Amino acid sequence: MKPEDLLQRLSPTHTQKCTVGCPVLDRFLGGGIPCNSITELVAESGCGKTQISLQLLLSAQLPTSLGGLSGSSIYLYSESPFPVRRLHQLSSSFPTLHNPLDKILTHPLHSAHHLFDVLSQLDSLLSSRRDTPSSPPIKLIVIDSIAALFRFEFENNPRDLKQRSGLFFRISSKLKEQARRFGLAVVVINQVVDVMNDSDGLRIGNSTCLYTSERKVCAALGLSWANCVNTRLFLSRQEERIAREVNGDDGFSTQTRRFIRVAFAPHLPDSYCEFVITGEKIFGLER
Amino acid sequence: MEVSSLPISASLRAKLISGGYTSISSLFSVSHSDIARDLKISENEALEILRVASQRRGSERSNGTSSIVNGAQSAWEMLNEEKSLGHITTSCSELDDILGGGISCKEVTEIGGVPGIGKTQLGIQLAVNVQIPMDYGGLQGKAVYIDTEGSFMVERALQIAEACLEDMREYHGFLKRDLQACQVNMQPKDFLENIFYFRVCSYTEQIAVVNYLEKFISEHKDVKVVIIDSITFHFRQDFDDMALRTRLLGGMALKLMKLAKKYTLAVILLNQVTTKYTEGQYQLTLALGDSWSHACTNRVILYWNGNERYAYIDKSPSVRSAAAAYSVTGRGIRSSVSNYKRVKML
Repeated sequence: MKPEDLLQRLSPTHTQKCTVGCPVLDRFLGGGIPCNSITELVAESGCGKTQISLQLLLSAQLPTSLGGLSGSSIYLYSESPFPVRRLHQLSSSFPTLHNPLDKILTHPLHSAHHLFDVLSQLDSLLSSRRDTPSSPPIKLIVIDSIAALFRFEFENNPRDLKQRSGLFFRISSKLKEQARRFGLAVVVINQVVDVMNDSDGLRIGNSTCLYTSERKVCAALGLSWANCVNTRLFLSRQEERIAREVNGDDGFSTQTRRFIRVAFAPHLPDSYCEFVITGEKIFGLER
Repeated sequence: MEVSSLPISASLRAKLISGGYTSISSLFSVSHSDIARDLKISENEALEILRVASQRRGSERSNGTSSIVNGAQSAWEMLNEEKSLGHITTSCSELDDILGGGISCKEVTEIGGVPGIGKTQLGIQLAVNVQIPMDYGGLQGKAVYIDTEGSFMVERALQIAEACLEDMREYHGFLKRDLQACQVNMQPKDFLENIFYFRVCSYTEQIAVVNYLEKFISEHKDVKVVIIDSITFHFRQDFDDMALRTRLLGGMALKLMKLAKKYTLAVILLNQVTTKYTEGQYQLTLALGDSWSHACTNRVILYWNGNERYAYIDKSPSVRSAAAAYSVTGRGIRSSVSNYKRVKML
């Protein structure tokens, strides 16, 4: 048993990161999504968590010189049918990639236990995959979404809650082990729950609760899951009414603004960044 | 001094020498039952050997403060020794104050709090601060960092090391003394070189590393802090046999405590919080249960108070319970901004 020499790493001054495909967002994230640990994206539906992760599936294929991981990726999904059209649409803004959709493996998930089984089976896939130009090694795992798997299977009683949290830690431990062994970036998507009472809830990270679409929310799955992720990013949206003059009449149109904020991260300060989703691309706005 | 000079029977003397106890000093750190077992002699004979040996030792020392039992210390000796022991600063003076000068060497300190409160930040800060040279009031030691969660980020360690160096340079300029010999010529990267980093991915690995530490530290005696970030993570996955978990954790705590004593180093165990169901309501407590709460010498709880981070001394044999604000900045752990303002206003 030997300690790791921190200076002997691939890059001694930085953890390897995977670009999200936009320089502004990359700068906000200190280079991108870190490898060897779990990054969680938390948001209500319609904020763009799936959008960002789809773009990530593509940007992970970029060569390391462009901030990517030059690897394939795995997308495990539990909610909607896999948004393959949207992925194809986004791939048009990555003209340098050759057949990008071939390098994205997908698998549906039925339950939390099923996720654990799939992860265990991944071990052999992760270690056996040979490095060829048509199928580079897997460097990214996206789970969309973890909350959907857990929200219905367990009851709200002490016994089930204990089982649930045990399973959280098992899944997280497996993911972290694979992230570490194979140098993967792991992105887990989580939903939000409304904060009902006005009393001070449990504060996790940089604020007690977060506002999105004028709702007061916090991340789903509670405190024990929060212990399982290394970095938590919170996405929010807010509708803004913009006064507009139409043919002499005052009218309003609404515009959606989206923000990404660091809830907690070992390497990032409390900060936020506005971002925009268009037909071809997701990108950050300079402040 | 040789064992052969002791006034004991020739057969006992021969047994002692063949058992490897050649010098009198080798008898000081063993108990009579150890000797009895090793040499296959009666306990009374072993006691007699130790009595003779400690007499000889007592006559050797002019002040003659020999202890009743070998290896025991008087409280006075302990007090003197404790005064000479160093502390590791947390870089937040208020936090240092309530801790009695910083994190104590020779002790196991548990630090817990919710995700995002700054446990890992404090861990990295201590791994850097332990390396502050003696001329700057530091311990000039090295750090062992056992990462069970994967939250240790090299770039963050570098940032904190850079800020620590800047502070040292500032202090150096402030003193304006001729400290040529200890001019700060360290580089941020040197700090990384002195952090021995272990990444463990399961609880078996964690136990293995803790068992291996004894050997590792005996080869690297300049290690002055061992940080486990976190002690908890691998022990929260469906342990069916809770008694086994308690035993494993207890055994690990004992080993770490022994290490802390033997090599005069500080052990920092980071812990998570969990909700505990008592009397019909959920309460926040540190994880791993009640029996674990006895395992550490000191217990510090980190929590949010409004928008400020606070540290609270929950348990300590030497300092009283108190709370202090701290903040996590780009430069690492520092005094809370509001405290800073208060000082300025005064």
